[in-house]
Amino acid sequence: MRARSIWSRLLRLDVALLVVALFIPLFDHWFHLGLSSPLRQCLVYAILALGLNVVTGFTGMLHLGMAAFMAIGAYAYGILTCDIYPFQLSFWPALAATTVIGVIAGALLGAPTMALRGDYLAIVTLGFGEIVQDVLKNLESITQGTRGINPLPGPVMFGHRFGTESPYPWFYLYLGFVVVIVIVCRNLERSRTGRAWLAIRGDELAARCMGIPAVRMKMLAFATGAAIAAIAGALWASLYTSTGEPANYDFQVSVLALCIVIVGGMGSITGVLVGALAMIGFANLLLPRTASWLQEQGWVTQASVFGNPNNWKYLVFGLVLVLMMRFRPDGILPRSVGRRAGAST
Amino acid sequence: MSARGKDDNSARGKDDNSARGKDDNSARGHVAARARGSVAARARGATAVLEVDRVTMRFGGIVANEEVSFSVREGEIYAIIGPNGAGKTTLFNAITGIYQPTEGHVRFMGQRVRRLATPWLFLRSALIGVATAIGATISLHVSVLWEQSIGANMIYGEGFAWGAGLRSFWQTLMSTVEGHGWIVPAVGFALGVGAHLALWFGARRTPDLISRAGIARTFQNIRLFGEMTLLENVLVGMHARLHTGYFTSLLRLPRYFTEKRRSIEKGMELLRFVGLEARAGEAAGSLPYGSQRRLEIARALASRPKLLLLDEPAAGMNPTETVDLMDLIRRIRGSSVTVVLIEHHMRVVMGVSDRIVVLNFGKRIAEGTPEEIRNNPECIEAYLGKEELG
Repeated sequence: MRARSIWSRLLRLDVALLVVALFIPLFDHWFHLGLSSPLRQCLVYAILALGLNVVTGFTGMLHLGMAAFMAIGAYAYGILTCDIYPFQLSFWPALAATTVIGVIAGALLGAPTMALRGDYLAIVTLGFGEIVQDVLKNLESITQGTRGINPLPGPVMFGHRFGTESPYPWFYLYLGFVVVIVIVCRNLERSRTGRAWLAIRGDELAARCMGIPAVRMKMLAFATGAAIAAIAGALWASLYTSTGEPANYDFQVSVLALCIVIVGGMGSITGVLVGALAMIGFANLLLPRTASWLQEQGWVTQASVFGNPNNWKYLVFGLVLVLMMRFRPDGILPRSVGRRAGAST
Repeated sequence: MSARGKDDNSARGKDDNSARGKDDNSARGHVAARARGSVAARARGATAVLEVDRVTMRFGGIVANEEVSFSVREGEIYAIIGPNGAGKTTLFNAITGIYQPTEGHVRFMGQRVRRLATPWLFLRSALIGVATAIGATISLHVSVLWEQSIGANMIYGEGFAWGAGLRSFWQTLMSTVEGHGWIVPAVGFALGVGAHLALWFGARRTPDLISRAGIARTFQNIRLFGEMTLLENVLVGMHARLHTGYFTSLLRLPRYFTEKRRSIEKGMELLRFVGLEARAGEAAGSLPYGSQRRLEIARALASRPKLLLLDEPAAGMNPTETVDLMDLIRRIRGSSVTVVLIEHHMRVVMGVSDRIVVLNFGKRIAEGTPEEIRNNPECIEAYLGKEELG
């Protein structure tokens, strides 16, 4: 039990990231950078990836249907809040209910499938992702089909209703969500539960022989991940005041979340945050900025397909993944053993 | 406990379970007590910790073990030896629940360790069945139900008449069950109950249950959690003996901290016992081979077993480490843990074991003290081959 000073805590990357993030709206305000608005998407994806990190990073189950739980969260939030439905809850109770619905959805999918191993689970989750999309699309009387549910209310805090006029409150609120979920993940990671998850990831048979009920622990991880993804979905829907069409929650979203976890570092919470910043920051901030800058310079026209960097997005993602696998297979910030991990700190 | 050996029918579980591990919440109540009384133990008048009773393991056409029987007394160091492929590790896997014996039984403390069919199981099955039935009915008619209950009663801009909505929901739900509609909930119920019972039956005798009952093991090809520290490895072994739950950890309730402190103390104690406390914070994967084997023993001991199964603990160790290992095994026995070991290293086997059983081609060919085994012609033949004459 080593006592750590405030300074060595501050020097940690995750705390440093938080401190920088706290100042971003201020910089925006002074220098008109316009970073807060696109970074909100970054934060939502960070939450989604943190959820996936519990399932894939901690417990080692390949999960290819995270977008489905995000969709369930978004639609649950939509149905619970939108005024065309009878429930008409406000933001906070709806968010709480959405979390519970996420847990239930995760448990329902997990119960029959947790005995499956490796690739089989990946196939099941992949199929689940497609099924959820199709159900949302075709259950038109309830989900409004491809129109999506709108308008949805934004968050309310201290009597202040978040609107479209300023992205800053949104940014701080979503940052707060990320911080809370990081703390939840970290608390779980450094506990008996998290140890059991990591043991299952390391060697499931050995873990079972050590008295760990693997199926139950995996289900716990799966439901936790589903709940966090549902929160991400609700925040996403609330950010855009609409659930959007079901196709917004397609396989690409699941893969993007997986890429964030892999690029960031499987099982490393700070790594996932950095991964989300790198991947979504690149896709939603850097590429559009580059595109408009190139157009301003008159180097490419808007109609040019190859000249638009946005169209190179997935090519770059693929390339980055290949390079990562070749040169840094454990991710940007791999989960460190010993000093930082587990109960030994 | 020795009374059970004499009386077949009296021991029916409850008292056995509580006697075995008072603090073992999770295993208690799940573990079957099917004390049929052991012939072997009765004959000798000693308590048998482990009884392997005519166990046959068949994989397709391959017979790994054939009618293997032996029994291990309390406080004994018992060795299983035999040439490669004799079925020793398969036997360990059958004992620890990784495999189910094709024939025969394994008894631990006089009972077969497995989950019992309690009333609670059937109640849970019934509840799952009802839930599946309701879920199936609702999901099959979800559009109609929504239209009739919410769609019909919802007027935009006005409050929702909850009473009327719920009533029409119930009426619509009931109307779907009329006529042949009952088939849907019936099938749902059958599927729910059937699937739950099937899953339960498939998981009657799992390694985690057997570990919690008090059998710990190490592996022939070391299976440590290489990315975790030594201490964490031991703490994983302690999993079933700790009680911090999901929400206690999530919310960092006071109990989390007290148990964390206690478990770390205990873990360090175990690491000291095997002589690894100086490296407690290092990754297990970075340890040399011999130390990894000792760490695996510490991890196994962390579950506070009554019986420890060691699968080739001396493999890959140098002579000094081997001597230390023999000492360690004796110390483990000294802490009232019965030890069963598979070993090829004859100095270890002859040096520490009280009794030895010899397997060859899956069959038991001899059992006895080290002296007896050393002079048994069949064992010599199994290991060295038969002298060709002429």
